[in-house]
Amino acid sequence: MSRLDRRQFLRLAAAAGGSAAFFGLAGCSSGDAAPSGRIEAPPPKDGQPYLAVARGSDPAGITRAAIDALGGMRRFVPKGSDVIVKPNICQDYHPPEYAATTNPDVVAELVRMCLDVGARRVRVMDTPFGGTPESAYQVSGIGAAVEAAGGQMEQMIPVGFIETEIPDGLDLSSWEVYGAIMEANVVINVPIAKHHSLARITLGGKNLLGVIARPPLFHVNLGQRVADLLSLVRPTLNVVDAYRILTAHGPTGGSLNDVVLAETIIASHDTVAADAYGATLFGLTGAEVPFIQAAVDMGLGTLDLGSVQIAEVDAA
Amino acid sequence: MTWKHWRRVRRAVQVAALALYLTLLLAALHTRAVFPLADLFFRLDPLAGLASMLAARAWIPRMGLALITVALALLVGRVWCGWLCPLGTILEWVRFPRAAARSVDPRWRTVKYVLLVATVAAALLGSLTFLVFDPITILTRTMTTAVLPALNYAITAVERALYPVEFLRAPLYAVETVLRGPVIPVDQPVFRQNVLLGVVFVGVLALNVFADRFWCRYLCPLGALLGLLSKLSLIRPKPDATCNRCGVCAGICRLEAIEPRREYEVIASECTVCLDCMAGCPQSGYGFALHRKPAEWEPYDPSRRQVLASLGATAAGVLLLRTGAHRKAPHPTLIRPPGVNDEDNFLSRCIRCSQCMKVCPTSALQPALTEAGLEGLWSPVLVPRLGYCDYGCKACGDICPTDAIPTLTLAEKRQEVLGLARVDRDRCLPWAYDTPCIVCEEMCPVPEKAIWLEEAVVTDGDGQPMLIQRPYVVRELCIGCGICETKCPMEGEAAIRVLRA
Repeated sequence: MSRLDRRQFLRLAAAAGGSAAFFGLAGCSSGDAAPSGRIEAPPPKDGQPYLAVARGSDPAGITRAAIDALGGMRRFVPKGSDVIVKPNICQDYHPPEYAATTNPDVVAELVRMCLDVGARRVRVMDTPFGGTPESAYQVSGIGAAVEAAGGQMEQMIPVGFIETEIPDGLDLSSWEVYGAIMEANVVINVPIAKHHSLARITLGGKNLLGVIARPPLFHVNLGQRVADLLSLVRPTLNVVDAYRILTAHGPTGGSLNDVVLAETIIASHDTVAADAYGATLFGLTGAEVPFIQAAVDMGLGTLDLGSVQIAEVDAA
Repeated sequence: MTWKHWRRVRRAVQVAALALYLTLLLAALHTRAVFPLADLFFRLDPLAGLASMLAARAWIPRMGLALITVALALLVGRVWCGWLCPLGTILEWVRFPRAAARSVDPRWRTVKYVLLVATVAAALLGSLTFLVFDPITILTRTMTTAVLPALNYAITAVERALYPVEFLRAPLYAVETVLRGPVIPVDQPVFRQNVLLGVVFVGVLALNVFADRFWCRYLCPLGALLGLLSKLSLIRPKPDATCNRCGVCAGICRLEAIEPRREYEVIASECTVCLDCMAGCPQSGYGFALHRKPAEWEPYDPSRRQVLASLGATAAGVLLLRTGAHRKAPHPTLIRPPGVNDEDNFLSRCIRCSQCMKVCPTSALQPALTEAGLEGLWSPVLVPRLGYCDYGCKACGDICPTDAIPTLTLAEKRQEVLGLARVDRDRCLPWAYDTPCIVCEEMCPVPEKAIWLEEAVVTDGDGQPMLIQRPYVVRELCIGCGICETKCPMEGEAAIRVLRA
C-alpha cells in the first residue's frame, strides 16, 4: 500500500503551491514594454473628431468606420495592452435580433481591431442578471463571435469583485467592483441603446452596472450612482451599439415590435458625449437622462453636442 | 484469472461506477444544457422505475433501462449492490474497526422488506413519498443540497484567500476559467434543510458502526427488491466438493450472507456478489453454480403477516396524508416547477431524485418540507426569494426522468404560469417610502412586462414635487417566474412576492 501520509501530503502540497507560484511569477515577468495601468480616455488631437457616428447596414463595417474616423484603434489601444471589452449581455432570454444584448458582430469587430493593433489579449465579459453567464454568452451570440475573432470570453469569478473606493463619488464612497476591470489597460464599453424605465434609456454609463456586485441594490439614486461608478471606471473608449435599438419594455425586451433598426454606431472617448448622442435616437436630450446629467455635473464629459467636432460617416 | 483478480476487477468497477455517477452529477449542475444520460443511475434503478410506473399507471420509457438491473439480478444476484451502486460503494469504504465484532439481530433484515412493501403499496395508491429512502435519491439529494454547495463554498473561500496574492492570480484565473461555469456554479447555490439532509446522510454512514454496510443489509428498499429477485438468480456462488467446512468464508463475508448451518450456503438475497468468500477460501473451493430452484425463504424474510401489516399501515398512512387540510387549501408558497399543473399527477411521478434542484441554474427549486404536506416531502418547490425560474431555461423538465416535470419547448415553458406576483405596498420603496425603484419591472422577462409603472407626484425631502413610478402587477401577463421577488432590493421579506396562483 502506498498511502500518502500526512508529511508526504504536506510536501506534495508545498511543491504544488511552489510551482504554481513560479508559473504565476513567470507569467508576470514575461511581458515586455506592455503599458501599465489604465489608459485614460485619450482626447482627440491633430483634428481628430471628438465623436464619430457611422451609419450603414453592416454592423461590423460601421463599427470599423466609426473607430477609424476617430483615428483608428491605435489611438486607444497601445501595443501590448490588456483589453477588456464590456458589452451588454444582461440576460439569456433572446437572440440578438431582440436588441436586448449588444450586437455580436460589433463586439467581434472591436476584438479583431484590438488584436490587429497588437493588444496582448482581449477579454469580453459581463454579468447577466437573468440566467448564467455561460448561457447568456451563448444565446446572445457574443460567445461564438468573440471566440471566432480571437478574443476570450471570461466569466466574472465571484472572488474577483473587490470592495473599491470611489474617491470622487458623491453618493457612494465604495462598492464591490470587478478587479480585472480596474486593472485592465483598456476598457471598451459597448452598450446597446435600450429603453429603461428608471434610467429612461440604458447606454454606456448604465452598462457599467455589469462590472459590480449586487447590482439590484445599486438602483437607489441610480442616476448619481451610475455617475459615481463612471468616475471610477473611466472606460478608454465607448462604442454605443445602436444597430438595433429597443424602444420599449427594456432592458429585457422580447418583442420584435419594440425593436427599431437604427443602423448606427456611436463612438467616443467620452462616455457622456456618446450617451448624449445615443439619447437623441430616442428623441431625448442628454440632460433628460438622469445619469447623463449627473455625470456632466461631476465634470466627467460633455453633453453639449453642438460644441464638439462630430464625424458622421455613411458606410453603406 | 483467480477470484482474487476478479475481486480486483469488482473494485475497479465500483470505482468506475462511482466516478461515472459523480461525473454525471457534475455534467448537469446549474446549467440549461442537460446531458441526455445525466440521469443514468436513476434509469437503472428498478425501485424508482417500478414505483413510478405503478403510481403513474403508465409505462415510463426512460425508466425502462432498469430492466437491465433486473436482468442482472435474475442472472447473478445483487450485482448492482456489490459492483455498481454508488451509495453501496461509499458505504463499503466507510469501515469501523469494531463493527464486525458487534452483532446485529438478523431480524433487522426484515426492515428493508417492510420499506419495500410500503414503497410499492404507496405507489399503488399513487404516492411516491417512500422513494425518499431510495439509495440513489438519498445520495443525489445529499450531493445536491449539502455536498456540492459546501464544496463550492470551500473552493470560493480558498480562492478569496489566495486572490490578493499577486502572483497566484494568473494560475487562479486559469483554474477558474476551466471550472467556473462548466463544473462549479458562478453563484453560490444555497438549499434549505441542507444541514438536516447532510445529517441524515451522515446517519446512514454512521450506522456502519454497528455492522458493515448496515444500510445495504438492513434498510435499503432497493436492496430488498433486488434481494427478492436474487432468490431466483440462476448463478450463485457455491462451495464445491473440496469444502472442508473450515468456516473461513463465513468469517470473511462482510454481509454475513453465508449460512454455516446449511453447508455454507450463500444466501442469495443477502449476497452482493462481492467475491470476498471466493477469493478468501483457503481450499479455492468456491465457484459459481447454476441454480434452477429459488433460494430458501429465510426466517428474517418477510412473513405474510408482516407484508399484510405493512400494506395496511401504508394504506392507512397514505389515506391520512391525502386527507390533510393542505389538500383543500394548498400552502400559498407551494409553487411547483414549470409545467406542473396537477398536484396529484405530480406526486405520482416525482421520484424525489432532486436532479431538478441540482440542474436549476438559480437554485430556485428547493426541497419541500411541509408545503406539500408530508406526502410531498423533498419534492421540488420554487422559492422565489432564493432563485427565479430563468426565462431562458427549461432544464428541470429536460432532466426529470419520469416527466413529473414535463419536457417542454422553451416557447411552451414561457407560457406556463407558476404563480402570481403581488406588490406589498407597505414595503415597496416607491409605494411606502417615495423612493425611486423599478428593479422588479426592469427584471420582468415577459415581452410586454407583467409589471407596469404608474406615475404619481409626491413631495420630496426638500418639499418639492417629485414624479415617482410605482410598480403594479398585470395579472393576465404575470407568469410567476419570481425574478421580481429574487431581485427585490428590500432587505428581509421582498416587497413583491410570488404566491400560488
